[in-house]
Amino acid sequence: MTRHTRLFMSMAYWGFAIYLFLPITIMIAMSFKDSKFIGFPIRSWTTDWYGQAIANGEFVSATGYSLLVAVVSTAISMVMGTWLAVLLARKSFWGRGVVFALTMLPAVVPGIISAISFRIYIRLIELDPGMVAIIFGHAVHNVPFVALVVGARLGTMPRSHTEAAQDLGADPLIAFLRVTVPYLKPAMVGGAVFSLLLSFDDFVRSFFLGSYEPTLPVLLFSKLRSGMSPEINAISTLVLIVTAILGLWAERSMRRMNKG
Amino acid sequence: MSLSDTTPPPGDRNDMPFWGRVATSPSYRRFSDAMLSSPGRQFAMLAVIPILWVLLTHLGPLLQMFRVSLLDAYPPTRDIAPQFTTEHYGLFFKDQLFFAPFMRTLVFSLSLTLITLVVVYPVAYFLARHVKRNNQLLFLMLLLIPFWAGEIIRSYAMMLMLGNNGAINLALRAVGLIDRPIPFMYTNFAVSFAIIYLTALYMLLPLYSALEKIPQSFSEAAADLGAGPLKRFWRVTLPLSLDGVASGCTLVFLISTGIYAVPVLFGGPSTTTFAETIAGFFHVAGDRWPTGAAFSIIMLITALTITMVFNRLIKMLQKEKHR
Repeated sequence: MTRHTRLFMSMAYWGFAIYLFLPITIMIAMSFKDSKFIGFPIRSWTTDWYGQAIANGEFVSATGYSLLVAVVSTAISMVMGTWLAVLLARKSFWGRGVVFALTMLPAVVPGIISAISFRIYIRLIELDPGMVAIIFGHAVHNVPFVALVVGARLGTMPRSHTEAAQDLGADPLIAFLRVTVPYLKPAMVGGAVFSLLLSFDDFVRSFFLGSYEPTLPVLLFSKLRSGMSPEINAISTLVLIVTAILGLWAERSMRRMNKG
Repeated sequence: MSLSDTTPPPGDRNDMPFWGRVATSPSYRRFSDAMLSSPGRQFAMLAVIPILWVLLTHLGPLLQMFRVSLLDAYPPTRDIAPQFTTEHYGLFFKDQLFFAPFMRTLVFSLSLTLITLVVVYPVAYFLARHVKRNNQLLFLMLLLIPFWAGEIIRSYAMMLMLGNNGAINLALRAVGLIDRPIPFMYTNFAVSFAIIYLTALYMLLPLYSALEKIPQSFSEAAADLGAGPLKRFWRVTLPLSLDGVASGCTLVFLISTGIYAVPVLFGGPSTTTFAETIAGFFHVAGDRWPTGAAFSIIMLITALTITMVFNRLIKMLQKEKHR
């Protein structure tokens, strides 16, 4: 590789990194600016906006609501995603290809269409828009991601593990709970964090399935439509920090698992 | 050997560990005998619930959306049974008002996918081929940090860049290139810039994992045989990374067709996307639901057809190269 292409490549990487980081860096800087007016230059600094954001009941209750939705929908996605991954790990049964395609379906339907189809479907099953509807939408949407992560780990598990357990007298269910689940644990932790973040960040499904009480992304969206405010900078920065730490941790544990 | 052979005498049960007590408890034994006694029953236990789940919750909403798209009114009014009709599909082809956003969304998504591919490929290549193995994870995870913040927060961060008092205008004014701010917001440029910011990482991850798998020796061997850098890339690296290109482009295309928040926040009347058109039918009174459903079906089928044709083309290209 010549020196010029090498230089070009590293410039591409760092240029891209700047493109990704500059906007959030500005957002973080603005959250400390001591003025109601958002924009440069920043003449004096303050942490007041954080105090105001935390004292603002609207933000707090929206965050709590989002967290509750994320935890419950993740619990459902974990059970169904893992169950589907175990089923799909059987090498061949009639209709396996169809089941696989159906498992992945929610991941390939574009966001707005997914949200609209759930909105129509909850009318059919006579579920009103609101928390249960949002949890349902998020749970379905996250199943393929859990199934992929858990399935990848399951693919590396030697058959001898469960065979040994069954030779020692465990029936398939006990063997699954005592041998397979512990083996899958890192993938399940990673999949759960991933699913929590997907749900917590989701806007379009929450927007169409929710009633008057907003999740955090829906609240931020409606605030942004009526104009920017320094509190939005502060709350966004807090969310960015927490989600980035969780995301990095999940990503790291999953990559380690795949290597080791 | 079956479970019953290993059952200890009843008196010992209290000394057993938790799982032993579960496995030997009478109620679990009854359950186990009923459900797990033959391979057929075991498979039924494993398969019935997840298959019902995917049919009812993964496929069901799309099927119901399709059904509603063929009804003249939904939700049904009292005492009047909905009639079958295809008028909502006809409306799409009749009215220019709907066709323009549809085409705009397709052209937008296709060109954004291409731009993202061209921009991200060198980044993925640099990561996979020039960064030391041990540092690759660190360099990759650095790029993933903004990704976790979510669609709305990243969109907001982009608004701070593109606004009239935003970072780009400020920088341009500071170096004296302009005296008045350029109104980036509410243009196609703003929408594109923001969508790439949201989707770029879905291109980066598949490209990186495809490029990472290609052994360095392949390109060295080509060099020994006298191929120049450009030829090595064109004949060796690029063909071997086509899998990553295919999945990256598929993901980015499908995501960009479905993004709703960005055109609402960044767009103006001249940038209406099909996502906004569809959403419009659900904000107003319920009787437009069938039209929205029909338009969603048109969008879904078009998007999936395009990605399938694209993936087929890539497959053909790969076979061609192997010959």
